[in-house]
Amino acid sequence: MRPVSYSRVADVATAIGTVAADPDSTFLAGGTTEVDLQRIHVARSKRLVDINDLPLRQVEELPGGGVRIGAVARMSDVAQALPVRRRFPMVSEALLLGASPQLRNMASIGGNLMQRTRCGYFRDVAAPCNKREPGTGCAAMTGVNRGHAVLGTSEYCIATHPSDLAVALVALDAVVLTQGPAGHRQIPADDFYPMPGETPDREHPVAHGELVVAVEIPPLPMASTSNYLKVRDRESYEFALASAAVAVSLDAGVVTDVRLALGGVATKPWRARRAESVLVGAPATVESFRAAADAELADAVSHGMNAYKIELGRRTIVRALRTVTGDARMVSDDGNPP
Amino acid sequence: MTGQILPGARSDGSAWSVGAVGGAVAPGCGSSGGVRCVGGGVGGIGASPVRPDGALKVRGEFAFSSDLWADDMLWGATLRSPHPSATIRGIDVGAALAVPGVYAVLTADDVPGDRHYGLEVADQPVLAVDEVCYRGEPVAIVAADHPETARRAAERIVVDYGVREPVTDPEVALAGGRLVRHVPIRKGDPAAVAEVVVTGEYRVGMQDQAFLGPESGLAVPAPDGGVELYVATQWLHADQRQVAAALGLPVELVRLSLAGVGGAFGAREDLSMQVHASLLALRTGRPVKMVYGREESFVGHVHRHPAILRYEHGATRDGELVYVRARILLDGGAYTSTTPAVVANAASLGVGPYRVPNVTVDAYGVHTNNPPCGAMRGFGAVQACFGYESQMDRLAEAVGLDPVEVRVRNALAEGGSMPTGQVVEGPAPVARLLELVRDRPAPPPVGDDPRQLPGGVANTTAPEQVVRGVGYAIGIKNVCFSEGFDDHATARVRLELIGGEPTALVHTAAAEVGQGLVTVQAQIARTELGVERVVVATADTSVGSAGSSSASRQTYMTGGAVRAACRAVRAALLARLAGGSGAGADDGGVADDGGAVGDGGVVGDGGTVGDGGGRVAGGGLELAGGVIRDAAGRTLGTLVDLLAAGPVERSVRWRHRPTRPLDPVTGQGDAHVQYAFAAHRATVDVDPELGLVRVVEIATAQDVGRAINPQAVLGQIQGGTAQGLGLALMEELQVVDGVIRNPSFTDYLIPTILDVPPMAVDVLELADPHAPYGLRGVGEPPTISATPAIVAAIRAATGLPLARVPVRPEHLTGTG
Repeated sequence: MRPVSYSRVADVATAIGTVAADPDSTFLAGGTTEVDLQRIHVARSKRLVDINDLPLRQVEELPGGGVRIGAVARMSDVAQALPVRRRFPMVSEALLLGASPQLRNMASIGGNLMQRTRCGYFRDVAAPCNKREPGTGCAAMTGVNRGHAVLGTSEYCIATHPSDLAVALVALDAVVLTQGPAGHRQIPADDFYPMPGETPDREHPVAHGELVVAVEIPPLPMASTSNYLKVRDRESYEFALASAAVAVSLDAGVVTDVRLALGGVATKPWRARRAESVLVGAPATVESFRAAADAELADAVSHGMNAYKIELGRRTIVRALRTVTGDARMVSDDGNPP
Repeated sequence: MTGQILPGARSDGSAWSVGAVGGAVAPGCGSSGGVRCVGGGVGGIGASPVRPDGALKVRGEFAFSSDLWADDMLWGATLRSPHPSATIRGIDVGAALAVPGVYAVLTADDVPGDRHYGLEVADQPVLAVDEVCYRGEPVAIVAADHPETARRAAERIVVDYGVREPVTDPEVALAGGRLVRHVPIRKGDPAAVAEVVVTGEYRVGMQDQAFLGPESGLAVPAPDGGVELYVATQWLHADQRQVAAALGLPVELVRLSLAGVGGAFGAREDLSMQVHASLLALRTGRPVKMVYGREESFVGHVHRHPAILRYEHGATRDGELVYVRARILLDGGAYTSTTPAVVANAASLGVGPYRVPNVTVDAYGVHTNNPPCGAMRGFGAVQACFGYESQMDRLAEAVGLDPVEVRVRNALAEGGSMPTGQVVEGPAPVARLLELVRDRPAPPPVGDDPRQLPGGVANTTAPEQVVRGVGYAIGIKNVCFSEGFDDHATARVRLELIGGEPTALVHTAAAEVGQGLVTVQAQIARTELGVERVVVATADTSVGSAGSSSASRQTYMTGGAVRAACRAVRAALLARLAGGSGAGADDGGVADDGGAVGDGGVVGDGGTVGDGGGRVAGGGLELAGGVIRDAAGRTLGTLVDLLAAGPVERSVRWRHRPTRPLDPVTGQGDAHVQYAFAAHRATVDVDPELGLVRVVEIATAQDVGRAINPQAVLGQIQGGTAQGLGLALMEELQVVDGVIRNPSFTDYLIPTILDVPPMAVDVLELADPHAPYGLRGVGEPPTISATPAIVAAIRAATGLPLARVPVRPEHLTGTG
C-alpha cells in the first residue's frame, strides 16, 4: 500500500470540499473494499477523507410507506431496521446474504453501491482490464470467467456487479441521492449503473467530489412480501452465482404487478423488464414464470466457463417467482431465520 | 458437531463414539466409558487435558510467528517472477538500493552456499538462477526499515526476462520427458481377465492447505557469525539443514526455534522465507522479519498435486475383485519438493484397502511450470482414493451390490497383502469401519428449517425440491516416513524437584502446528513418570531432530521418543533406588541411546503393548503419585527423596521399525510402517435445479489404535473431514497458463461452519503391536475418504457421473 494522507471530517460540506479540491483523493467509509483495492494498487488514491462521522447513518420512514437510508449507515444496521424489514424484506435479505457479519458491521450503504467488481483480472494489476486501464483489453473473455456476466456484456467487459443490495434497489425503483460541488442530484438506481459498452471504466455517474448521501426507496405495498434469492458456492460469505429480487402482486391468480431484478448474471444490477412484461396479466403459473425467464435470458451471451449461468439465471427467476407467489418466505418478521 | 460420549456403546470396550448432536464431551480420566486412566493420574494418556494454546487462540492472544518483533529489526520483502517460465538475462538492483531506508538487495549471486534447496532433491533455487520456472518464484529480496519501503524497493528492481512458453499440461510434460518419478506396482497376473469390468477417468483439482497464518519469521544475527531463526515450520531440523547449506554455514551456527504456527497441513514442510530472512540478517547485521501477504502466501507454499486417474477394475459377477489397473498422473509443478513420496503413496495405496490378487499400477509425477506441489494432508492417498472409491461404486452398480457390501466383500484384513506384497500386520478393521458407518442411524429426514436445506437461508430451496443421497467411502494411509527412510525422533526428559515438587521437563524439536502435540507430550510424561507437573520446552534445534509434523507421524514418533526417554529416566531412578542413597553415578547425566531403541519403541519393560504406565523397568514396580511401590503395594521410596540427590535427565533417539524401498520394477517391498483407516458415510440433500448441495450429516469411523488425547482425536477427525468436504465441493486453486487466478480467501473458498455438517464419530482403539501404546496416526485418514463419500452421495442423489472434484453447482445443473 502506498502512503496516503488521511483526514476525518464531521460535516458533508467539508467532506465534499476536501475531496473536490484534490483530484487524487476519495471518500473513505467502511473501507472494506476501498482499503483492499488500495493495498493491491487497483485504487490509487493519495488522500482518504474519512466520512464515518457524517450525520448520514439514519434509516427513516418516509410518508406513504417509503424509506430513506443514510449513506454511511452500516449494512447490518439497515438489515435490522424495522421499516426496512417490514416494508422491503428483499432489501434486508439482500444485505444479510452479502459478505460476512464482520464486514456487514463495517460496510456502508453508499460504499456498497459504489463497490467495484470482484473480477479477478480487474484485481490483478498485471492483467489487461478495460475497466481498470481503459484500452488494455479484457483478459476475462478467454480466462477464468466462471463468475462473469451473461447479460449486458460488451466486447470490452463481462464483469459482474457484485452488490446484492443494488439488485433489490433496482427492483424497487430506489433513488440515489447525491450532493456535490454542483449541488444535489437524484439518480434512479437503474440509471446509477450504466452498461459497460465501450467504457467499462465508467461505473456510475457520480463526479469527483460528489458524495452519495442517501438512498430513498419509494412506497411499494407489494414489497412487504418480497424476497431475495441467492445461489452461491457456499453457505455464507460468498458472491452470487445468480440472484433475484422479486415482488409480485396477484389478483385471482393473475399477476397484476411485478418487480424482478437479477444479480450475479449481469454487468449491472439487472432489472428484468422483459420478464416483467411477460408476467403482467399472466397467470401465476410455472409456465408463465418459465416464459418470463426465457424472455429475460433470450439475449444472454456466454464466454465459456460461465455458460451455465444462462440456464441458472432462468431457473433462479422461476424459483424466485414460485417462492414469492407461494408466500414461502424464509426470513421471519424479526429478521432472523426461523 | 461433537456430542455425548456413549459409554459402552461397543461390546469390546475398545471403541467409543460421539453422536451427531448434543454437547461436546470426550472421554477422559474418570469417565465411565471404558477408557483407562493410567500412570500419572490427572492429565495422563487417555485423558483430554486443556491444551495450553486453546484459550489464547480463541481470545486472539496467541503469539503467532507473524507477531515476532525485535526493536531494531528490518523488514524483508521478496520480488517474485511475473512469468511461469522465463530466462533471466539481467537483474538491475540499483534503483532499489537507492530507495531511502533500504539496507540490502540480494539476488542469487549473493547466496554464499548452495544456491538450491529441497526436501528430497535440492533443485529449487534460493533465488532464481538464470531462469524462473513458475509464477511467483523468488528472484530477489530486500531488507528495509519499513515493510512498505521494502516492497516498493522490490518493485524497482529491473529484471530482464526472456519469456518462454510455459509447459502447464502434465500430459505434455510426461510426453516431453519431464518425469520426476514413475512408480510401477506389479502384482499377480498382468493379463488377468474378469467377468465384470468397470473403467473410469477421474480428476482432482489443485487444493490449497489454506492455513490462516501466513509464512513468517524473524532471523537474528548471532555474535558467533551464525543466525537464530524463529519461524513457523513443520520440521525444524530439515529447515536447519537447508538453511545452513544455503548460507554456507555449519549447522550448529544456524539455530532454529519454533514460533507460533498458524496451521500447516503440509504447506510448511518446504522452505519459504527461512533462507531469505537469514541471508538478509547476516548481510545487514540486523534482525530481519518477513511476513507474506495472503496473495503472496498462495504462491509461497506448495499445493496438493492435481491428478488425472484412469482406473480399470475387473471383478467376478459376485463383485470380488480380480484385478485393478490404474494410471495416475500427478502434476508436481516447477520443483521436486515431495513429489517422489506423493507418487509412491498414490501407487502403493492406489487400489485402496482391498484384497486384489492382480494389480498393475503406474503412477507418475511430472514437472511443469505450474506452482510447485508437495505436501498436503493425505498426499497421494487423497487423489487415489477419489479414483478407487469412485470405481468401487461403479463396480457395485455393475454387479448389483450395495456399495458397502461390495467393499466389505473385498475388504483388506489383518494379515492381508498389499499390492506391494507387504503383509498388513496388526488390526485392519476395514469391514468393521464400513459397517459402523452403515449401521449408524440415518439423519433426520428433510425438514423445513432453511438452515438445514441446500442454499441455507438464501431463499433458494423448499423441502420438496430436495433429493437426498447417501454415499460411502473408505481410505487407507501410511503413517510415518516410508521406503527405507531413516525416520527418527529425539526426546530429552529431565526429572527434578522444583519448589520441592517433582517436575518433568520435556524437550523435543517436534513442531506443534495446532494438532495438540505439546499436550500429548505432557500426557505421556505424566503417565510414564507419575508426576503431575510437566513443562514442555519450546521446540528448537538444541535437541535432536523430531522429524516432521507430517505423515500422521508425530504422536507416534515424538510420542514414542518421549515415552522412551521417560522410561530411561525411570530406569535411572530405579538404579538410584537400588543404590540406596540415591547418589548414584548417573546423577544429572545425559544418556543418548543413540538409536538403539527401535521396533515399537519398547524400552526396558518387556515389550508389552499395554500402556506400561508407571511400571518401572525390571522389577514389577509401580510409580504413581510420586511414590514407588512394589508388587505387594509396599512403598519403596518417593520421587522427592530420590530426586533430592539431583535431577535425572535422559535423551533418547527413537526409531520406528525399518521399512524398505519399493522395487523399482515391480513396486514390491515392505515400504510402510503402519496403515491407518477411516470410513465415511455422507448424507447429502441436493437441489438439482439450482445445483446446490447441503451435506446433512457425516458419519465416520476410524481406528486410532489408542486415543492418547480423545478430544484431540475428535478435533483431527472433524477438521480432516471438513478439509475433505472442501475438496469435494469448493476448494480449488484455479491455475490458468501457470497463473493462480484466485489467490485470496474471498476467491479461494474453504467451508464455513455453516457448510460443515454434524458428524457422528466412531473411534476404534485396536492396538497396533508395533506402535507406542498401540496408537495409530490420526491426522490424515479423515481427509482421504470424506471427499469420495460426499461425491458418492451426490451421485446417488442426482445420477450424475461426477468424475472431478470439486463438484460445483454447474456440474449438477447439467448446464455447465
